[in-house]
Amino acid sequence: MKKVEEILIQCIDDIKSGKATLQDCLGRYPDMRHELEPLLRVALSIKEPTDTRPSDAFKVRARVNLMEHIHASQTKKKAVRIPSQAGIRHGWFIGWTRAVSIAVAVILVISAAGTGTAYAAQSSLPGDTLYSVKLGTEQLQRIITLDDAAEVELELKFASTRLDELEELTSMPADQTAMTTGSYDRVLAMSIINIPLSEPEKNYATQSERIAIAVTGYEKNLNLAITKSQRIIDGETSLEMVALAILNHFDRLDEIEDGASETAQEAVINSKEIAMNGHINALQNLAEVNPVRATEINIQAIQGRLNRAEAEAAKGNGKGVEDALQEYEKLRRFGEEISNSAGSRGQDTKAIDEMNARATTGHLETLGTIYGNVPEETKGAVEQAMGLAVEEHGQAVQGLQQQGAQGDIPTEPPLPENIPDDTKKNIQGSGSNDSGKGRR
Amino acid sequence: MQESTDTSSEIERLVDKAIGGDGNAFGRLYDMHVDRVYRHIYYRVSNTADAEDLTQQVFIRAWQAIGRYKKTASPFLAWLIRISHNLVIDFYRSKKSDAHIDFDMVSTKPESDPEHMAEASFNRQEIRQAINKLKGDQQQVILMRFIEDFSYSEIAAALGKSEGAVRVILHRGLAKLKTILEKA
Repeated sequence: MKKVEEILIQCIDDIKSGKATLQDCLGRYPDMRHELEPLLRVALSIKEPTDTRPSDAFKVRARVNLMEHIHASQTKKKAVRIPSQAGIRHGWFIGWTRAVSIAVAVILVISAAGTGTAYAAQSSLPGDTLYSVKLGTEQLQRIITLDDAAEVELELKFASTRLDELEELTSMPADQTAMTTGSYDRVLAMSIINIPLSEPEKNYATQSERIAIAVTGYEKNLNLAITKSQRIIDGETSLEMVALAILNHFDRLDEIEDGASETAQEAVINSKEIAMNGHINALQNLAEVNPVRATEINIQAIQGRLNRAEAEAAKGNGKGVEDALQEYEKLRRFGEEISNSAGSRGQDTKAIDEMNARATTGHLETLGTIYGNVPEETKGAVEQAMGLAVEEHGQAVQGLQQQGAQGDIPTEPPLPENIPDDTKKNIQGSGSNDSGKGRR
Repeated sequence: MQESTDTSSEIERLVDKAIGGDGNAFGRLYDMHVDRVYRHIYYRVSNTADAEDLTQQVFIRAWQAIGRYKKTASPFLAWLIRISHNLVIDFYRSKKSDAHIDFDMVSTKPESDPEHMAEASFNRQEIRQAINKLKGDQQQVILMRFIEDFSYSEIAAALGKSEGAVRVILHRGLAKLKTILEKA
């Protein structure tokens, strides 16, 4: 037999969902009628309050207060974590002047907008009213970061933030601005910067101007990360961190390119060039201390570009394939440069040449797949990329032969089976013609 | 309180980030839950100024305690509602008197569902005042079930009780509510 509380709950649920009336339920359990009826009437009298919502003004005020609280609690934690080596490293005078700089920067940011505002500004985009506050808080973080490696990490974080901004801006329709994203956001922004809510919504910058700010910022943050990592004594870990971060940027930029509107494509291509230059600069620095690791990362980047070309081929985008293969060629040639530079520094190049040679087989396989998927007019670009792979392979093998270390690596790499014989001959011909030119 | 899978996975993602110290993620959680928390508190205190003050405190307390939140135990909103409940209890304890009522807001309004009201016997204001006189778990279970529309399993998880115990508490709470209303 069911317990009274189970029957009560069943009846409440049935009545509320319209499956039964009060009388139906009481009729089902006549023995319990006297106990059930008053309880059901009480239960059915309890209703959700109608339209009780907090005001927008309160929500904004409470959010700013909350963010101030969070920011204050995090700053407190960070202050505990900051090592005192700064004073030891720079001497007491530098430590003292830095403290003054921190105080000044804090005052500037807070007087500009308040700490809660600074936090609220983190989701702003170039051209938004709160964007300068966002950059101000980044500057403040630079000042209060005392560890060199942490400074590099910080710049990489900011570079990644610029890519987030780029992604958001390039995927927006050209006429959209951040101030029109929703009444709550608008109230939030307006109340923080003391603009009356009656103020009409404005476009503060064109889409292309806003994108340009993000791209320029990305370049600046990336270059700062590279320069700062270069300055660190025994800083191989930081050099590697920068190189790996940029490797990740290639993938992110591919995604951004895929989601970007037509008018924003050029800006994404510029950003890719910045990433490519950053990759080369960062790996040049790393190669000076560890050319083998630099080669490994470069081979990962090469494979990444081939994967991109393969994906574009699958989509039938010949232009996308050509772009990715151009990047591939640039990276392959740079791989040879790492090997040459290592040789001229008297470093052991055996491991580098071996890695480059072994990677060729995989690269050619991917290129074979791409070749099978691209339209006729793009096949020439794929053949050229294969020719380069064969050429680079030949040079790596030559390097290994000079050191008596060719091992099981074939002198000529196998070409994919789907390539026509006459094309194979052309590819092998171009490889052997160039092979051996200007090697160390 | 059923949330779509997308929303609950987004909440879960934000909660993970907030537990890791991401203040912005917590800010997003605030955006997503502030209306519900406010509504719950407003129902209890019947006063805009106090509801606003307590709502702010709920989120500050939640941020301070986020490291102790166990997402497997109860939904994030249920956890916030539990914090709200404790704060409202403290609020009444510190006042040691009935909170002042915002009469504009609770004045008897025409009921929007006359058919349903035929089966109910008390108006909104009477019920609200009576619920405020209930003690601890009884008050919380009734509010979570009838005002916040949590399922019995969610209430059980939030309160650390079995579903059977929640049903018993609900039954006793309604009986107590009936007694309070009859005396009024």
